[in-house]
Formats: sequence, structure tokens, C-alpha cells
Amino acid sequence: MTAEEILQQIRARFGSEIRTSEVRRGEATLTIKADQNFEICRFIKEELGLEYLNCLSGVDWVGENEMEVAYAISSLRQPGKIILRARVPRDEPVLRSVVPLWGTANWHEREAFDLLGIRFENHPDLRRILLPEDWIGHPLRKDYQDERFVPYPWDDRKPGTVVRPTTA
Amino acid sequence: MTTVNLHLQQVKEQTAESMEEMWVNMGPQHPSTHGVLRLLIKLDGEVVRECIPYMGYMHRCHEKIGENRAYVQIIPYTDRLDYLASMYNNWAYCLACERLMGIPIPERAEYLRVLIGELQRIASHLIWLGTFGLDLGNFTLFMWCFREREMILDLFEAVSGQRLNYSFMRIGGLALDVPEGWLGDVKAFLQWFKPRLPEYDRLSTDNIIWQKRIQGVGILTPEDAVSYACSGPVLRGSGIRWDLRKNDPYGIYDRFEFDIPVGTSGDVWDRFWVRRQEMDQSVRIVEQALTEIPPGPVLAPVAKKLRAPVGDIYSRVESPRGELGDYIVADGSEKPYRYKVRAPTFVNLSALPVMLPGYLVADAVAVLGSVDIVLCEVDR
Repeated sequence: MTAEEILQQIRARFGSEIRTSEVRRGEATLTIKADQNFEICRFIKEELGLEYLNCLSGVDWVGENEMEVAYAISSLRQPGKIILRARVPRDEPVLRSVVPLWGTANWHEREAFDLLGIRFENHPDLRRILLPEDWIGHPLRKDYQDERFVPYPWDDRKPGTVVRPTTA
Repeated sequence: MTTVNLHLQQVKEQTAESMEEMWVNMGPQHPSTHGVLRLLIKLDGEVVRECIPYMGYMHRCHEKIGENRAYVQIIPYTDRLDYLASMYNNWAYCLACERLMGIPIPERAEYLRVLIGELQRIASHLIWLGTFGLDLGNFTLFMWCFREREMILDLFEAVSGQRLNYSFMRIGGLALDVPEGWLGDVKAFLQWFKPRLPEYDRLSTDNIIWQKRIQGVGILTPEDAVSYACSGPVLRGSGIRWDLRKNDPYGIYDRFEFDIPVGTSGDVWDRFWVRRQEMDQSVRIVEQALTEIPPGPVLAPVAKKLRAPVGDIYSRVESPRGELGDYIVADGSEKPYRYKVRAPTFVNLSALPVMLPGYLVADAVAVLGSVDIVLCEVDR
């Protein structure tokens, strides 16, 4: 299935949920509203036949006050590839978990929760995975500060601004 | 709640349920975990009922460091991910950047990357075979495999000056051309190495103790392997013929002739046998690359300060351990906005709780060994 066909089918079914969609480097990429992420993932897996979740990563778009979860989905039986991005508001980053569809999403979602503070509803075991359980804050958020960071050499930000987050 | 308290609470709950079952810690300092990994295992007598992995002991926030470094500066950090296959980590990262920025690679660099990548695959599989033999009490195999691995490390030292953390690849090609006579050294190594493979077989494949120890243990069904997105020898051991070098070729892998070995039942034996046969195939690829390698430059003319156009990319390569993916989000500046590494062993390890239950605790070592984890890559 080509990238155009994939996009067409998703547009036909979930037209109102899609914010942007395009084909880049032969891959379908689209941004959706977050409340339908599970249904769209199930459609991609069961009806389009892309059954392999390569990667799930969170992105903190602090400038737009949004969090994003990017699913890279492909198949072991056909060449189709898709990058699906779901946006949620930054102060209430909650999505539905896709663990019922893919077992691999379990650890990826735990990692996104651990490092970015994105919460996944219906996740069977949502707790920190890489950091200690008593860690405060989510380091991959763009506004996370720690005095141990080595600033980027030609960065504009002043080094040594220490703001330790006090809430989890 | 701290880890210790949580653990105690779990133990209490479990002992109340049944006097037969108990929770046992395997690790974090267990020798068979090849690093620091803690497996909390529920035992019913000698039989494993449940397994909860705890990792992160070597977490160093690789991705946060990446967000605060220029694209070129990240290359040395990728060495430290899978330190047994550093060349492949370099390659995966550089390839992602090249695809993102649209940088073409000189022909000679493509060939050298394949050649070095396959030598790295042999070295990585050798260390796996050796330490797996050590896990199962086969010490001679360990010594023999390390002998040949040492020769590959010498070859890499000759090109890069380093033995493990090479930082040899650059965005746009390679840091240096190989020294004069190096390709002849590779040929000489292959001459020595090819007769060694049957010798390993005499110690492992043909060994009845080895066979009985790992056949029928730690079975991973193809359905579970796909659901847990396993890749590399773990996926192929379950009988799925999927190799990115063939199915989604990167570099110039589409020019080489090689087979993809697969298993049938998805047990530890199949994962061992797939890796063992992959060494044969890597030798084939190296031999083909040696005959076809053209002269020319090894580094494309690239700017000193690299900027990627706005956009994102998920780029993947077939590392010795499976699908090594880099998800890079670029915002047009000289450092990535978000940089995520999809580590193959992190994902393969997540299938361990599916593989272990129902087998003896002694088999847990063999099953864990067959996943071929590198904890620096799992923890990132």
C-alpha cells in the first residue's frame, strides 16, 4: 500500500480528526486530535494491516503549549510506513494507551510517562521505567532545569540558572 | 514509595496468597545479566511464574544530552549506546541525519560502511556467542570467540585508533580512509576466521549438552514477537523472515547477495542458530565488498555547522541486535529538537516477561542470554 493510499483511507474514515497530513520521503505523516488516537491506531493496525509498532516517542512542544506522541508504524508484510502524531494540551497531557493493540507500547509509554510526564489511560502498569521511583520532574520537558546540565557552547541561555521543580 | 518498600509489599502480598510461591531478585549484580539489570522473578519451587524487569541503573539521559548538542557532537555519545557494536550506532545516527538533511555519500564510503558494519556484526555475534557459552558453562567457547573478536578489534583500531568507542563515521561519510594495506589485512582475517566457524560448531552446535540445554526453552511465538515489536535474531528466531538489509535496504545493501537465516520454533536454540548462521552471511558480504570496493573520497563536502530543515524522520538500520531506529525532530536550528533512540534490546527485553514463565529458573539464564541485551543501550 502506498503512502497516498494510506492517507486517503484514513482521511475517508477520520477526516474531521486530522489536523495536517502529507507524504514525505515516501512516508505518510499526519497529525491528529488526541481523543481519537486509539481508534485511529486500531484502524491502522486492523484494517490497513500495518501491524508493527516501531517506535513511540513523546515530544514537548513548549512554544505551542502542547505535548505530542509520535507513533512510527509499519508492517512486516508490506512496504507501507506511517508516522502518526497526536497532540494533547501541555497542562493536561492524557492519551488513551495503545497497549491493547501492541505489547511493545507498554514500555514505550512508560518511558514517555517517565521522561515527559505524558499519562496514558488504561495502561496496565504506568510507572517510571528508567529513572528512580522517587525522582521529581520529567527531564525531557523543555523547561526542566538541573544544575548538572552542561549548557550548549554557543547557546543564548545563561548558564547556571537553576530551577529545581518541586512537584512531580 | 521506595523500591525496597514496594518490593517488601509485593513479597507480603504474595506470601499471603500461597506459601509455595516466592519472589526472588535476580540481579542487579547477577553475572548473567551482563551489566546491571534486576529481574524480580516469582518462583513456584523451581518454576518461573512471573518476571518483572527493573532497569535504568545506567540511565544517563542520552536523549536530553542529544537535544543540547549540535548534530555532529552527538556522534561520540552514540558509541556509548551499544558499546559492542559502536560502528553500527554511528551508522544509524549518521544515516538518520543524512536522510534528514539530504546529504549523498561517496561510493567508497558506502562500501567501507558495509564492510566495517559486517565486521562489527561478526565481532558482536562473537562476543554474544562467547558470553552465552559462559552463561551455560562452556568456558572454552568464550576464549575462542574472544580470540577472533580481538583480531577484529585490532582491525578497527587500525582505522580509527579506538578499540570500542570508534566515533569513526561522520555525517556525509567516514572520518578517514582506511590505511594502506588494511583491506589485505581484512582478507587475511577472513582466511583465518572461516575455518574457525566449524570449530565453534564442534563446541556448541554439535555438542549434545548444548543442544539439550537450549532446545525447547524460552519459546516466543511469532504473534508475540510481532506484538512486542521484537527485531533482529529474536524476531527471526521465531520464524519471521524480516531483515531491514533485505526488506528495507539502506546504504548499498541491495547490491549484495546474502541469505536471511530464520528459525522454526522460536526457542533459545533458534535464536542461537540464527546468530551463528548470520556470521557466515556476514563473511559473504565482506568478501563481496572487498572485491567491489572503488577508490575515491570517503567524506562528502558538508558544512561545518549543520542545520537540518524543519521536519521529523524515523530512520532505522539492522544492527546486530535488531532494528536500531533514530527518531529525530528538527526545528531548523543546529541541534535536534527531539532525539529518540529506539534501542533494539530495550524493545526485545520487553518480551522477556512473555518468554520466561513456565520454565525452570536455571533456564532463565539461557533465555536472558539469548535475547542478547546490552544494558547501556536499554538504559540510554
